[in-house]
Amino acid sequence: MSVDDFRSQVDAASSDVGRRPDATAERSAFAAIVVQLRQTSPIDPNQRLSPERLHQIDRAFFGPFFREKYGTGGDKALENGRIRYYGPIQPANNAAELAGRRYVHEFDTITGCTRGWHETLDRMGNVRQVRPERRDGAMTHYQFDSNGRYRGSW
Amino acid sequence: MEVDLQAVRRVFEDVLNGRMLREQADRWAYAVVREEETGVVTYSPPGERERIWTGVMYLYGIDTKKAPDVYLHSNDDIREAMMAKLGWVVGDLAGDDSSGSRAAVAMLVRT
Repeated sequence: MSVDDFRSQVDAASSDVGRRPDATAERSAFAAIVVQLRQTSPIDPNQRLSPERLHQIDRAFFGPFFREKYGTGGDKALENGRIRYYGPIQPANNAAELAGRRYVHEFDTITGCTRGWHETLDRMGNVRQVRPERRDGAMTHYQFDSNGRYRGSW
Repeated sequence: MEVDLQAVRRVFEDVLNGRMLREQADRWAYAVVREEETGVVTYSPPGERERIWTGVMYLYGIDTKKAPDVYLHSNDDIREAMMAKLGWVVGDLAGDDSSGSRAAVAMLVRT
């Protein structure tokens, strides 16, 4: 499993919850907390916005709400209609190859749901750990090697 | 929920002094973040909102570990972050202890 595979599993779990807010079953060990913010105007789920268009919408509507709070380290519009906001890297000065951590907040422009996780990065900028905010409150660190391969969790 | 600058400072201080576990500080900050999502958090003083939020976002995840029993951040990291984000200096802390188990006395001096 790679970092991208891991994120896909989180995507699947959180997207499912986003469509069915009453769902209570733990669908995946990786499921992260999803917060329903507010009802958004109906959008055809088949309609996919280009990242460029998404960025334009973000600048006009969502940016002041999310970027100021969560995106001081940058943001990225994804192909699936989600926008990721990156917090600043909080440096770790005595952690060998690890440079620090940052909080990532993701907003789904289609469902209006948000979720977040903490990432630990190495000095090359690779994500080496992911710690999602889970519904059950359990704190699990998922580790990856420098090539993005899943190494295990605790 | 009202969050004031002193409360954020106190959480940093308590973590550095060993009076509060990092896990507790993380959950405290998480509660603020959740409340912020619903838009019911007020900041005191209002003009310090950005500084308060920056401090809260540092505390959120402060218990991140690099190995099962080892925190990512050293106490020195946290002390530096507190100074940078809140503008306070913690002095007279005994050494560094990433396990967070050692208690020490903090003298807070505004910069």
